Amino acid sequence: MLKYLFSKEEDIPPGTAAIFFGFSSIVWFVLGTGLGSFNAAKLAFPDFVTGIELLSFGHMRQVHVLAVILGWISMAFAMTMMYITPALGNTKLWSEKLGVWNCFLWNIGLGLGLFLLWNGVSSGREYSDMPWFIDLVVIFGVLFPLGINVWMTIKNRRTQGIYTTNWFFGAATFMVIVVFLVGNMPEFFNLTGLTEAYLTWWFAHNVLGLWITPVAAAISYYVVPKVTGNPLYSHRIGHLHFWSVVVFYSTPAAHHLMSAPLPEWLKSFASVEGVLILVPAIAFVSNLLLTMHGKWRMFVENVEIKYTITGVLLAIPLNMQGGFQQTRAINWYVHGTGWIVAHAHLALLGFSTFLEAAAVYYGLQVLLRRKVYSLSLANFHFWMLLIGFSTYWISMTIAGLIQGAGKIYEVPYIDVVIAEHPYMIARWVGGTMVFIGNVVWMYNMWMTARAGTPIPAGRLPHELAYER
Amino acid sequence: MAFREYKIGSRMFAFALGSSMMITLYFPSKDIASVQATETALNRQLSFGRIGGFSVEDPFLKGQGKPVTVYLNKDPKTGSPIEPVTAYVYPVGVPFPSGLRHPRILGAGVKDLSLGQGRIADAKESSGAVFVVSAAGFNGKTLSYIENATATRGWQPSEALAAAGDANSRYIGSGKIMFVREGCWWCHTLLPEETQDWQYFGAPPMLGDFNGESPTAFGSDRKAPDLLHVASRNSSREWMTMHFYNPRLVQTHSIMPRYDYLWGEKDAAGNKIDYDKWRAEYNEYIAGKRVYAPEVPQPAAESEARKLIDFVMALK
Amino acid sequence: MAWKFDNPLVSLADDQQNAAARGVWEGESLGGITEDNNRLPVPVVGLLILTIVTSFLVTFPLWGQRPTAALYEDYIALMDSPQVQALPDDAKRMQYIVDTVRAKGTAKQPQLDRHPLSMDDLRLIQGQVVELQRQGARMEEFTVLGNRLVLANFEGNWRADGTRERVQPWWDKGYTIDVFYIIAFCVSVIVVVKRLPPYTWQPKHKH
Repeated sequence: MLKYLFSKEEDIPPGTAAIFFGFSSIVWFVLGTGLGSFNAAKLAFPDFVTGIELLSFGHMRQVHVLAVILGWISMAFAMTMMYITPALGNTKLWSEKLGVWNCFLWNIGLGLGLFLLWNGVSSGREYSDMPWFIDLVVIFGVLFPLGINVWMTIKNRRTQGIYTTNWFFGAATFMVIVVFLVGNMPEFFNLTGLTEAYLTWWFAHNVLGLWITPVAAAISYYVVPKVTGNPLYSHRIGHLHFWSVVVFYSTPAAHHLMSAPLPEWLKSFASVEGVLILVPAIAFVSNLLLTMHGKWRMFVENVEIKYTITGVLLAIPLNMQGGFQQTRAINWYVHGTGWIVAHAHLALLGFSTFLEAAAVYYGLQVLLRRKVYSLSLANFHFWMLLIGFSTYWISMTIAGLIQGAGKIYEVPYIDVVIAEHPYMIARWVGGTMVFIGNVVWMYNMWMTARAGTPIPAGRLPHELAYER
Repeated sequence: MAFREYKIGSRMFAFALGSSMMITLYFPSKDIASVQATETALNRQLSFGRIGGFSVEDPFLKGQGKPVTVYLNKDPKTGSPIEPVTAYVYPVGVPFPSGLRHPRILGAGVKDLSLGQGRIADAKESSGAVFVVSAAGFNGKTLSYIENATATRGWQPSEALAAAGDANSRYIGSGKIMFVREGCWWCHTLLPEETQDWQYFGAPPMLGDFNGESPTAFGSDRKAPDLLHVASRNSSREWMTMHFYNPRLVQTHSIMPRYDYLWGEKDAAGNKIDYDKWRAEYNEYIAGKRVYAPEVPQPAAESEARKLIDFVMALK
Repeated sequence: MAWKFDNPLVSLADDQQNAAARGVWEGESLGGITEDNNRLPVPVVGLLILTIVTSFLVTFPLWGQRPTAALYEDYIALMDSPQVQALPDDAKRMQYIVDTVRAKGTAKQPQLDRHPLSMDDLRLIQGQVVELQRQGARMEEFTVLGNRLVLANFEGNWRADGTRERVQPWWDKGYTIDVFYIIAFCVSVIVVVKRLPPYTWQPKHKH
């Protein structure tokens, strides 16, 4: 990697940045889920590794969250943007060199930020807990170069049309910069009180709504038509999806603070908008599932489609939960409980991770021109992820309902802790399965680069027979 | 480029995102900015200081650059007995909280009283100041406001600290830093909810209870009791000390981590704390080989544990 | 963009624009992946309308509210009556009060069921409720917080006299903004989508 940082643009092979991003994202995923498993063990067994400041839960929890969001998910996004955007524009990436630098700065900046967070240097704001100078690095060293590359590639495309995926890529990179700039204003300008509380959750909501959800969906808009060979079912529904994401996903931030003393009208507004998140969800799911028409056997046979469609199907419970759990009718019961933790993992580990994993599998095979080393291991990874995630999700949902009941019926809190204990163990088991699956994935992709069957020019990876 | 929907599309995009930002940022900010600070808000920000998380004065979250809360029952200047009062001492160079830097955020009335009777504009960070929260009538209503006791009563920070002594000093601001740094807020919320929740955890906060405070650290993922009013439920410092050192000493089923490392090297008597010995004895106690758990060392006056306990005991 | 008044929903684009769009669509594969020109399936449209209706219905603040002082006015009025005093113990007294109020019939009954209290609880708030009634305060603006009555934590519309409504309304300006916002969204999406060729035309994909 280092040699490409100072190479001439034309000496860097196309796809280099995407490959670097792809492998970085997998490494962060292994790290992030490993931390998750470690943290879950601490919740299940509180005296597991005890008395060491740096290994205490309060120091590790946010490292897990941000390693997964900014390391795994966002880097996988960058990886897919680096190869899908030019492919859809029938052109090359605007600057491969910028992409390589972007990947380099991203790893350095994120590593530094997480190191500081690990040591307790935190702003005390969930999701935006990096101190402000790291936020500036993220905005100007990470997101802005990524955006420039995407926007310029789209601008320099050699097709007249812009495909749906690229609308999302172009818009989401822009919106995430706005979200980081605005959402971190409490730190930049030391805003206080309810403004601070509200902006914290404005950030947390929009970084999911305007970055993770639309980009993950955009990826599947590429993977499904590309791998199945079916055209996207409808350009119109794509429009409905895109516009409803911009309009309905950017507004309900206040629903994260339904039980805080915010202005009531804001909660009413946010709550209605929160239910309307179902509009992009319905558009997205129906468009993708209709695109699968006639190719459903690939859901079983093809590993990328298996991942993608699983992710798309998980979007249904995700949005049904997300839409309704934030209304006043339900929020009073589940707010602040494990239900929400389960929901967050459904969004990031269920829906989004499955879509990205498909694109990373597919992209690395295309860019390395090598068929995946072992389909058996890829399938093993899939099932470890799915079963591990389901274990986690179900156990935390049950734990959340127990907590909710305890909250409403005024049960002494320690009884809730006791009642939750089996589910905390189940959560740890599920998280550990995900971690083990990811270690296998890292090995599989490494071996793909080293020893995968070469793909002849003009062929797609999934057209090759499975050899191993 | 003159193809299909891009021209109208990009305008629509700007319009959509713009109106969304208008509704979710501009409108609420106007509403929130008009909220009047309550007495709680004044006490909170004065005891916490400028920022409760990362800041330039305290880059590694050691609790530096924070005010000291003192309980005074004699006038620090004259030494004569007074009604007991809580004063917030800002030694030289300690940054003031936002309400003092930008009195506008205290809201109408509170701002006027603080600037007028309270003389907060006279306070300078470079020379330090002592503040108290007082009340006065404003337009027929009684409002709390910040009083700069250095200007109105001639109290100097060093005198106030000396008059209170360590027994009556609380490092609440530094303690909040510990609270943020150690991630207490990942499990303990600071927000009793507006539904039935409050019957167990106390009254939910009011609109103006947070003016000037940052971060508010409400927390979102409650795995442990809400702490906004914890000291009203349990005011035993001894219990808190044991609970921080090893929660399972006082609550067998707790899943809270041990925070014994906040005790540092030495205990209150200046003796070196032997953690290995303590843990070995505790393990024996758990195994049933000892009748009593080993004694929890008293935290030293300078220790981080003491500051964190000061903060938690101030959550009333 | 020309609006055809005789057939407004077929297309907002004129024939020339449609022909150009079709030409481009046929002529290239749109960045490597073809797209079909299908309309939104009717069941999905139904689902979307259902979503919009549901979003309002389900968000009204009818659940999880705290009890207000107004809820217990009837209880407190009955507390010191001779019938209640004649009963032997608190449990029976409370039962009598609850039954009497229920028999009388009140719109607040669901909330009363959700927030039951004991005779001792009533005694704790009795004095405060009576005092507020004497002052002529708006009882529904006071929340019962354990043994205290506090002004509710809501800030609603301004009244003419400069005070603020402190009752959570079933409709507030948040909902009004929503209505306009959703209308603007629908109009915008229709305008954008109608720039495409009509859905009756399907592209011929050439790979």
